[in-house]
Amino acid sequence: MQVFKNIYRLYFMAFIAEYIFFRTSVRRNRRCHKELMPGSKKLYLTSILKYTVCLLLVAFFFCTAQLANAQQKLNNITLQFVNKAGEKLLNADSIYTNPFGETFTVRTFKYYISHIVLQDDATGKRQSYNNDYFLVDDADTSSKKIVLQTDLNSITSIHFLLGVDSLKNVSGVQEGTLDPVKGMFWTWNSGYVMAKIEGNSPVAKTPQHAFSYDIGGYKKNENTERQIDLKLPRELNTENAQINIEVNIMTWFNAVNEMKIANTPFCHEPGVLAKKIADNYAKMFSIQK
Amino acid sequence: MKIITAIIIVFIALAFGTSWVVAVNNTHAIKFVVPKGWPQPVYDFKQNPLTAEGFELGRKLFYDGRLSKDGNFACASCHQQFAAFTTYDHNLSHGFNNSFTRRNAPPLFNLAWQKEFMWDGGINHLDLQPLAPITDANEMAETIQNVLNKLKKDTAYRRMFKAAFGDENITTQRMTKAISQFVVMMVSANSKYDKVMRGEDSFNLPQRLGYEIFKRKCINCHTEPMFTDYSYRNAGLTTDDYLADIGRMKITNKPADSMKFKVPSLRNAAVTAPYGHDGRFVSLLSVMNFYRNDVVNYSTTDSLLKHGIPLSNFEIGQLTAFIYTLTDSSFLKDPRFAPPGFENRMPAPPAEHVH
Ligand code: HEC
Ligand code: HEC
Repeated sequence: MQVFKNIYRLYFMAFIAEYIFFRTSVRRNRRCHKELMPGSKKLYLTSILKYTVCLLLVAFFFCTAQLANAQQKLNNITLQFVNKAGEKLLNADSIYTNPFGETFTVRTFKYYISHIVLQDDATGKRQSYNNDYFLVDDADTSSKKIVLQTDLNSITSIHFLLGVDSLKNVSGVQEGTLDPVKGMFWTWNSGYVMAKIEGNSPVAKTPQHAFSYDIGGYKKNENTERQIDLKLPRELNTENAQINIEVNIMTWFNAVNEMKIANTPFCHEPGVLAKKIADNYAKMFSIQK
Repeated sequence: MKIITAIIIVFIALAFGTSWVVAVNNTHAIKFVVPKGWPQPVYDFKQNPLTAEGFELGRKLFYDGRLSKDGNFACASCHQQFAAFTTYDHNLSHGFNNSFTRRNAPPLFNLAWQKEFMWDGGINHLDLQPLAPITDANEMAETIQNVLNKLKKDTAYRRMFKAAFGDENITTQRMTKAISQFVVMMVSANSKYDKVMRGEDSFNLPQRLGYEIFKRKCINCHTEPMFTDYSYRNAGLTTDDYLADIGRMKITNKPADSMKFKVPSLRNAAVTAPYGHDGRFVSLLSVMNFYRNDVVNYSTTDSLLKHGIPLSNFEIGQLTAFIYTLTDSSFLKDPRFAPPGFENRMPAPPAEHVH
């Protein structure tokens, strides 16, 4: 539709321009060669007709070219997030043991994915999805599958932001996956929770032995969004392609910084602790081979 | 020639029509008037164009108890118009289930010029503000989803959302934008002080002397024309052991911000008692007595207040007279901000109109 509209406008503008041009030239003719007068109206009409045909032709070519362009094949590429706890698939009721021997269960596991970039190192081409924000919720199967349309024929790496960029943290109430109704927004200290794990562990000295890491913070010295760069094992043809991305929650406890549930059952605000956990979760993604 | 002209007109109509007809909405824009000599507002009106329909919806929401869990606590239950939208005569406002808020409700006006909200500045956008009391267990104790569900069930709301936003979709964003449209219009700029500044009125002697004292002793923090510079400062109030409120530090995690609170505006201060972030001062006199006798010199106490502010009884009298000139009675009685349906019980509307 947009294509047609554009064509239509272009054509319309050209038409007006021609009309004005023609009128002035006719007037000039009238002034210079009075003898041309009787025929000028006919001349004028046929000429308009000619122009119209010409313009229509141009428009037609332009239009088909654009349509062809628009119809250039787009491939669907699927990113499938596979949440795991070590070697096991993540399950709401299963009991897992972290690297410090602490057992725990996970009730909630959610994270934001944004600013996805597909890249083909061979050609240097990139495709970015800057306005798409995804909330992967372990409890919602459909949220773990992200389908992107791409005109790249093949890609070698994928990049994204884990979390929500700072601009969206300071721009009021958003819609869609960023709607505060999703429970991933702090209302008393504005900002998104980039990722959260909530569950129980017998070692947590808290009511109901609850532990929860709600990690957020977008300000310069409190930033918890993390850039993730994943290289594919080999060049991938994007036709009906699927990339399985493994997400290992065990990294939250020790990938970079040690985080024992017994010592740290809660993290609910931006700050040093949140940044340490963010450094850990920055390591949770890998491409399934 | 006529045919050609006709064709062209048809073309023009079509070209313009197809592209813009969809965008036309039957809302009535309202104008936000920046008082003469004031800075430009920080609220981004482009993201939330003001309309009479949005404003009316916001007003209904502001006065609707259904935004809280038990139906009793509308925004207006803590933000009352005759008290410049603070809670009249309460140090801490009452909320859900006989709980108290942890802080004194600030008055609401001139919000369009404010970048951050709450005493600690924890909220970074006006549109986000309603979400905090709605979800706070001490205030309205409701979830956003439940509030949206309640609104969706109500035909009057569906109609009003459609009038304001083009269709009946009721979302967090639309709800909060409507509330913002209502509260952002609350501009208080018509006190005696403003009239004097505009040359329409003049101070009497105590008021003039009070203004001179104010300019010497208070204006660094309570800066004109907003009567706050919106900075965070520790005025040297002793900490309350029970509330243990660290103020701005809760937001920044910086020890240097410990016990700092946003400098409150003194506009309408005559009607916003009690005072201070926890409402500990019952009167303007008790605030002044605090400044001259009781400022505590903590490490983060503001350098301007390290030794308190020397004030004689005489000066306090003059200062109080001046602060009374900051009361904007046309704002306190403006029928636009009264509960829906109560307009007619209010005095005649002031010069500016919504529509
Ligand atoms: C239970 C009482 C209560 C209710 C209900 C309530 N508020 Fe408040 N409001 C407060 C208190 C207390 C504060 C200050 C809190 C703080 O600084 O921590 C406040 C702060 C504010 C502020 C910030 C003002 C400033 O100068 O920083 C705005 C704006 C506001 N409220 C609007 C609303 C709106 C809109 C609603 C309805 C959705 C509402 N309030 C409901 C008590 C309440
Ligand atoms: C160094 C900055 C500073 C100076 C100077 C200052 N104030 Fe304040 N004022 C504050 C701060 C900060 C608060 C809030 C204190 C709190 O509640 O923690 C405040 C609160 C107040 C309040 C209570 C307002 C309310 O709504 O709660 C009044 C009244 C007041 N000041 C009057 C004055 C007067 C009069 C002067 C001059 C004699 C003055 N102030 C000088 C910073 C200042």
